[in-house]
Amino acid sequence: MTSDKKPVLALFYCQNTHASGEDERQALEQKYGDSLKLFPIPCSGRLEPLHLLKALEDFADAGYVITCPEGACRYFEGNLRAKKRVERTREMIKSIGLEEERIGFLINSKEGPKPLTDLADEIMDRLANLPPSPVLGPSVQGRATGSRQRSKGDKV
Amino acid sequence: MITAEQKPIEEIREMIAPYKRILVAGCGSCVAECAAGGEKETGMLASTLRMAAKMDGKDVVIQEKTLDRQCVNEFVIQLDESIDQYDAVLSLGCGAGVQAVAEMYPEIPIIPALDTEFLGETMSQGLWIENCLGCGDCMLHYFGGVCPLARCSKQLLNGPCGGSMDGICEVNPEVPCAWQTIIERLENFKALERLEEVYPPKDWSKKQGRGPRKIIREDQQR
Repeated sequence: MTSDKKPVLALFYCQNTHASGEDERQALEQKYGDSLKLFPIPCSGRLEPLHLLKALEDFADAGYVITCPEGACRYFEGNLRAKKRVERTREMIKSIGLEEERIGFLINSKEGPKPLTDLADEIMDRLANLPPSPVLGPSVQGRATGSRQRSKGDKV
Repeated sequence: MITAEQKPIEEIREMIAPYKRILVAGCGSCVAECAAGGEKETGMLASTLRMAAKMDGKDVVIQEKTLDRQCVNEFVIQLDESIDQYDAVLSLGCGAGVQAVAEMYPEIPIIPALDTEFLGETMSQGLWIENCLGCGDCMLHYFGGVCPLARCSKQLLNGPCGGSMDGICEVNPEVPCAWQTIIERLENFKALERLEEVYPPKDWSKKQGRGPRKIIREDQQR
């Protein structure tokens, strides 16, 4: 499947990772527009599989999380938990026939930490050829606007 | 608490396939503690099923709600206000919860999303072990607080089999020998002489063989 439309990425990132402040966030928003939805979180350990699933369900072609290097989590094990939760989410989407590459994580380097902007570029490059998500129909694609839009729950 | 695990997604999808409007119902008690059927897991399952339906081009409504307890009618009745909107309920309760909802709403199919497993203890985060069979005739005081029926692979009541090595069960190397633990505990209490008593075969009639067990407490009834 091919498409000219750029994939939409829901990017969750730990606010304690190197150079991930407001300036970097705004620069990324300007560069990628609606193709990148940023979700700063106080620690990657705050991430739940439900966050990634909801993003895929509602607006995103892919969902990623950026974590601090192993051994460098401010809360000791948040990044380790995030890794396991990402793996769990990958298993879940795989079980319904969705490509597991749509969910992933990137660990910042301990020796040469990169700014959020570089890490986001890496992920966007990685996803450049990702086909549109079969979950999102044409009417759904591109409906999310704004970097902090939350997915809507379907609770009764 | 009662432990459970989610069924494979393929099995769940097969069970709900005939229905168009489905309520995914979680339970906030035991199955939430063992991360199988609480609010988070209910949301995850509902979201996954909605995505699967979209990928298949199916026009179905899948919504979610988590009750505090599915096995208590006073909580189940909270479904009254919305149950008419659905033609099936996918329950993430234990077997007792599924049946309580089915009893309350006999006209709607209640489908189990979990396999109920055992009475378990949370050993550590993400690890639950079975240590009670619910036999109806607790003997833990004889055995230093260790149940040989639940924790000995051979369910021996009168001492170790002699097959364990270094405190590990010969049947399952992942299991500590229950009898080694019992003897160590009783030594701590200086009560090893309890093991001189011969315990007769377990009377299983208190657990099974006469239909569903029942507890009646008149002082708790209206």
